[in-house]
Amino acid sequence: MNQKPKHKIGWLWENMKGYRVLYAVGILGTIVYNIMQLTVPFISSKIVDLFLAGEKAAENLSLHRDLFYKLVAAMVLLTFLRTTVVYLVCLDMEKVSQKVLYRIRTYLFDKIETQDMRFYNTFRTGDLMTRVTGDLDAIRHMIAWVLRAIIESFSLFFATAVYFFCMDWLLALCVLAIAPFIFLIIRLFRDKVAPRHKQLREKHAQMNTAAQENISGNRVVKAFAREEYEIQKFDECNKDYARMNEKTAMTWLTYFPYVETFANLMPLVLLLVGGIFIINGRITMGEYVAFSGLIWAVQQPMRMMGNIMNEFQRFSAASEKVMEIYYSEPAIVDAPDAIDRPERFAGRIEFKHVSFQYEDGNLPVLRDVSFVIEPGQTVAIMGETGCGKTSLINMIPRFYEPTAGEVLVDGYNVSKLKLRQLRKNIGLATQDVLLFSDTIDGNIAYGDSSISQKEVEKFAKYSAAAAFISKMPEGYETIVGERGVGLSGGQKQRISLARALAVKPAILILDDTTSAVDMETEKQIQHSLQELDFPCTKVIIAQRISTTKSADKILVIQDGRITEAGTHDELVAQKGYYYNLVRLQTGEEE
Amino acid sequence: MARKNTYKEDEVLETPFDYHHLLRAFVYIRKYLNKMILALILSALGGILGLFGPMITQKALDEAIPQADIGMLLTLVGLLVVTFVVAILFTTIRSKIMIRVSQNIIYDIRKDIFEHLQKLPFQYYDDRPHGKILIRVVNYVNSVSDMLSNGLINVVLEIMNLVFIVIFMFMVDVKLSLVVMAGVPVLGVFMMYIKNKQRKAWQQVSNKNSNLNAYLQENIVGARITQMFAREEENAETFATLSDRCRSAWMKAVMYSNMVWPGIDDISVLVRAAIFIFGLIVFGQGNTSLGTIIAITSYAARFWQPIMNLGNIFNNFINNIAYLERIFETLDEPVTVCDAEDAKEMPRIEGEVTFDHVTFGYEEGKTVLNDLSFTVKPGESVALVGPTGAGKSTIVNLISRFYNVNSGRILIDGQDISKVTLHSLRSQMGIMLQDSFIFSGTIEDNIRYGKLDATMDEIIAASRTVCADEFIGRFPDAYQTEVKERGSLLSQGQKQLISFARTLISNPAILVLDEATSSIDVQTERALQQGLNAMLQGRTSFIIAHRLSTIKNCDKIMYVDQGGVLECGTHEELMEQKGYYYRLYTAQMEDIA
Repeated sequence: MNQKPKHKIGWLWENMKGYRVLYAVGILGTIVYNIMQLTVPFISSKIVDLFLAGEKAAENLSLHRDLFYKLVAAMVLLTFLRTTVVYLVCLDMEKVSQKVLYRIRTYLFDKIETQDMRFYNTFRTGDLMTRVTGDLDAIRHMIAWVLRAIIESFSLFFATAVYFFCMDWLLALCVLAIAPFIFLIIRLFRDKVAPRHKQLREKHAQMNTAAQENISGNRVVKAFAREEYEIQKFDECNKDYARMNEKTAMTWLTYFPYVETFANLMPLVLLLVGGIFIINGRITMGEYVAFSGLIWAVQQPMRMMGNIMNEFQRFSAASEKVMEIYYSEPAIVDAPDAIDRPERFAGRIEFKHVSFQYEDGNLPVLRDVSFVIEPGQTVAIMGETGCGKTSLINMIPRFYEPTAGEVLVDGYNVSKLKLRQLRKNIGLATQDVLLFSDTIDGNIAYGDSSISQKEVEKFAKYSAAAAFISKMPEGYETIVGERGVGLSGGQKQRISLARALAVKPAILILDDTTSAVDMETEKQIQHSLQELDFPCTKVIIAQRISTTKSADKILVIQDGRITEAGTHDELVAQKGYYYNLVRLQTGEEE
Repeated sequence: MARKNTYKEDEVLETPFDYHHLLRAFVYIRKYLNKMILALILSALGGILGLFGPMITQKALDEAIPQADIGMLLTLVGLLVVTFVVAILFTTIRSKIMIRVSQNIIYDIRKDIFEHLQKLPFQYYDDRPHGKILIRVVNYVNSVSDMLSNGLINVVLEIMNLVFIVIFMFMVDVKLSLVVMAGVPVLGVFMMYIKNKQRKAWQQVSNKNSNLNAYLQENIVGARITQMFAREEENAETFATLSDRCRSAWMKAVMYSNMVWPGIDDISVLVRAAIFIFGLIVFGQGNTSLGTIIAITSYAARFWQPIMNLGNIFNNFINNIAYLERIFETLDEPVTVCDAEDAKEMPRIEGEVTFDHVTFGYEEGKTVLNDLSFTVKPGESVALVGPTGAGKSTIVNLISRFYNVNSGRILIDGQDISKVTLHSLRSQMGIMLQDSFIFSGTIEDNIRYGKLDATMDEIIAASRTVCADEFIGRFPDAYQTEVKERGSLLSQGQKQLISFARTLISNPAILVLDEATSSIDVQTERALQQGLNAMLQGRTSFIIAHRLSTIKNCDKIMYVDQGGVLECGTHEELMEQKGYYYRLYTAQMEDIA
C-alpha cells in the first residue's frame, strides 16, 4: 500500500466530494424538522389552553373563531411542512448515500480489475464480493441513516438542554447529570462490541466464500457425490455466522438495562427534585409541566445512542475491509517514464537472462532463460508439466515480472511500455479457458467490441469453431454460461482462440490451447494460423508434435532452463528430450 | 429450455405475489413459536407495566406535591423504580429470546437453500450466472429474518394495542371516535396506492443487485482475461452502468417507502384538527365536555402511534417480500435428477454397463444421442473417440446420471440407474472432468476430497500412482501447500494430476476419464499410464482422449459421432475396417511423421 489510509470518517468525507453541500442541506433540514417537531405540540397546547381548558375558553371560541381556525390551520400546515421536510431530507440523504456508494463501488471495481496476480492469490472471490456488496452497504447505511441519527439526537438533546437551563438551571442540571453516566456505559459498550463487529464481517466473508466456491465447483461436488460433506462444511460457516451475529447483537443487551435504567431515571429525578422544588416554591406547576412535556426529547437521544454506536461500529469494521481494497496498489503498473507506443508492435520478443520465482515459493521456476523470436516467427515451447512454460509466457504481457533479467518486446523492456498498449498487442489464449456468460459473439469480440459480425465469423472460422457454432439453434447469439458451461472443452478452447485472434494481435500466445481439440480440427487450426491476414508472431505451448513440427523454432524447457532449441529436424537429430517425445507420440517405442 | 440468463437481464419472477408466501414462511417460525409467544407475553406485560408509570406520576402531581408530602413522593418514586426495572427486565429477556430466534430462522432458511442447491442438476448452474445464485444464499436470507421474527411480534403487539385504544376511545365518545377512525380509510387508500408501486420498485432493487453481483463475480474470476484484452475501461463502464441502475432502482424504491411515515403523520394531524373542529364547533358548543375532548385527543395520538408503527412494519414487509419471493423461488426449483421414490441402494458395482436404446438431448428437439445401444463388460476399458461435440462427454455424463435420459435405459450390472439412489451410484464412480476444479485449501485436502477418511499414506500412494508425488514434493510445504482459489498456484497439468489422484483415491468401481490428461505432457502421461494400467485392472473404465497413443491399448474403442457409435472394436480391428477411426489414426500419425 503506497497511499496511507486516512481515518475512516476523513475517507468518507473525501468520497462525499461534490455532494457535501447536498449533505449539509440534509443535516440542516434534520435540525429544522426537529425544531418543528417541538413547535407543533406547542400550537396544539395553545389551542387547548385558549379554546378548551382555559377559563375563557367558551368566550374565546365565539369571539376569536378566526384565531381558532388559524391555529388549527397552522398546526396542520406546520405538520405538512415538517413531513415534507422529513421526506425531502430522507431522499436527500438517500441520494447522497447512493452517490457515494456508486462512487466507492465503481472505484473498487476499477481497483480490483487492475490488480496483479499477487492480489488475486491473496483475496478470494467470495471475500472480494462481500467487500463490494455487504461491507459497502454498511457504509451506505452510515451516510443515509447513522450520521443523520447522530445529528438528530444531538440537536434534539442540546436544544432541549438549553431550553431546560433557561427555565431552571438547577433542575436542568439535576436531570441532565444522568447523561454522563450513559455516555460512559456507551463507551464501555463500544470497546466490547467493536472487535465483535470485526469478527462478524470476517465470518460473513467466510460464509460467502464457502458458498461461492461450492457453487463454482458444483460439478465436482456431484461427481464425487459429496453433497453431504459440502452441506456439513457450509453448515459450519452458516452456524458460525449466525452465532457471531447473535453474540454481537447480545452485546448490547448486557449494557441495555443500565442505559435504560439511567434513561428512566431522568423523569424520575424530574419528579422527585421537581416535586420538591414545587413544594419549596422554587418552580411553578406550569414550569414543571413544561419540563415533563419535553423530557422525552432528552431521553430519546440517550436511548438511541446504543443503536447508533452499534451501527457506527458496523460501519467501522466494514470500512476497514473496504479501505484495504480501496488503498491497495498493484505492483505492476505503468512506469512513470513509460514509453508511448500507440502504433502496432512489430512483434519481436527477446528474453535476456530471465530468472523467475514466485514470491511465496522457494524454488526458482525459470533460471537464466535467453532467446529471441523475430517478428512473424512461430516458436513452440515444450516441456514437462509444471516446468515453467506458462510462467514464461505470462511475463510477455507482464502478468509477472522477472526476478532477474529482462523481457523485451520490440527492443523495449516490457516494464517500460504502457501496460495497455503492450497488452493490446498481445492475443493470449490461456490454458484454463474462461468464457463470460454472454453470447458467443460477445465472447469472441471481447477484446475489441467494435469488430463486425463478419469478422467475428471469420475468426471463428480460423479457429475451426464456425462449424459447431452455426449448428447451434441461436448461432452466434447463443449464450454460453459462466465459464462456458454447456460447451465441451474443445469448443471452449476454440472460442477462446477466436477471441485471442479477434484483436489481430502482433503477438499471439497460445498456452496449450488445443489440448482438448481433436486431431483433425487441430490440423485445420494449424493451417489457418499459418494464413492469418495480419502479421503475427506466434508463441505456442503444446504437447503434440503435430503442433510443433512446423514451428520456426522449438524451445524445450526442463527444470526452468532451456535445454534444447532448434527446428524439428535439428532437435530430432540431437536425440534428446524432443527426440524421445517424437518417438513416444508416434508409438515407435514399442 | 429457457434461454440462459446473464447479468444483462433481470430474472423474471413468474408467480405474482400472494400472501401465501407469508403463510409458507410460517414453517420457519413454527419451530420457535413457543419462544415467540413467550416473547410476546413479556412484551405485553412490559407494555401494561408501562401504563402504570403515568398513573403513578399523576398521583404524585395531584396529591403528593400539592400536599407537600415528601414521604409519599418518595414512595411513589420508589414504585416507579420498581415498575421500570421490571419492564426493563422483561424487555431484555424478550430481546435475548428474539435475537436467538431470528438468528436461528436465518440459519434454517440458509441451510435449506444450500441443501436444496446441492440437489439441483448441472442445468440449474449452467443457466444462470453464479453470482445470482450466491446473492440468494447470502444476502437475501439476511434481509428477511427480522421481518419473520420481530416483525411478526410487533404486528401482534401493535394490533393488540390498537384494539384496546379503540375500545377505550369508543367508551369515551362514539361520535368523536368515528371522527378519529375516519382517517383509517384514507390511510388504507394511500397504502394500497403505494403498495403495488413499492413492491415492484423493491423487486427491481433485488433484480438490479442480482445483476450487479453476477457481473462482479464473473469479473473477479476473469480479471486476468480482462487485463489480457486490456478491456478494463469497457468493463468498468459496464459495471458503472449496473451500479447506476442499482442506484436508480433504490432511489425509486425509497421514494415510495419514505412516503409512508410522513403520510401517516399527515393523516394523523388532519384527524387531530378534525377533533378540534368537530368537537368544538360541528357537534355544537358545550355538547362535548372538555374532558372528553382532551381524552379523545390523547387517545387519537395513541391511536395513530401504533398505526405509524404498523405502517413501518408493513413497509419492511413489502420490501423484504421481494427477497422472500426469490428465496422460495429457489426452494421451488424442481430437482429433475433425484432419487426415485422407491430407489434402492446400488449394490457393489461389478462394472457391466449397458445403454438400451438411449435417446438424449440437452435441449428439446435437439438430440445429442439417438437410440444408442451398447454393452460394456465388467473390467473392460473403453475409449471414446470422435470429433469435439459429438457426444462423448454426454455418454459418460449419463452413466453417472448427471442428466436423465429422454428415452431408453442405462443399466449397470443389469440395474436401471434411474431406480437406485444417486449417492450409492455416484459414490462408486470415479469421474475426472475436463475442467479439473481445485478447491481452495491444501493439496492434501484436495486429494482427500475423493475419500474423506484417507490416511496420509493413501494420499501419497495415490499421488505416486499419478506421478504427482514428485512435483508436490518440490513445494516447500509439500502436501500442506495452500493451492489458493481454483488452484491458481498450479499449472493446468498439475491440477489435472491432483484431480486424478483425487479420483483414484476414491477407489471407484467405474472410472471415467474425460480428457483427463490433455494438459499433461506426453512424458508424464507415459509414466502415469503405467501406474494407471494397474488401476484399470478389473475396473470398467471409460476414457475420452484425443491423443490416440493414450487409448490404443484399450479393450474397446468406440467412434462416436452423429448421435451414435459408428464404429466399435479394438485398435487392430478398427484399423482393419479402414473406416473413421482408421482415418483419424493415420491422419494423426501422418502429422507426426
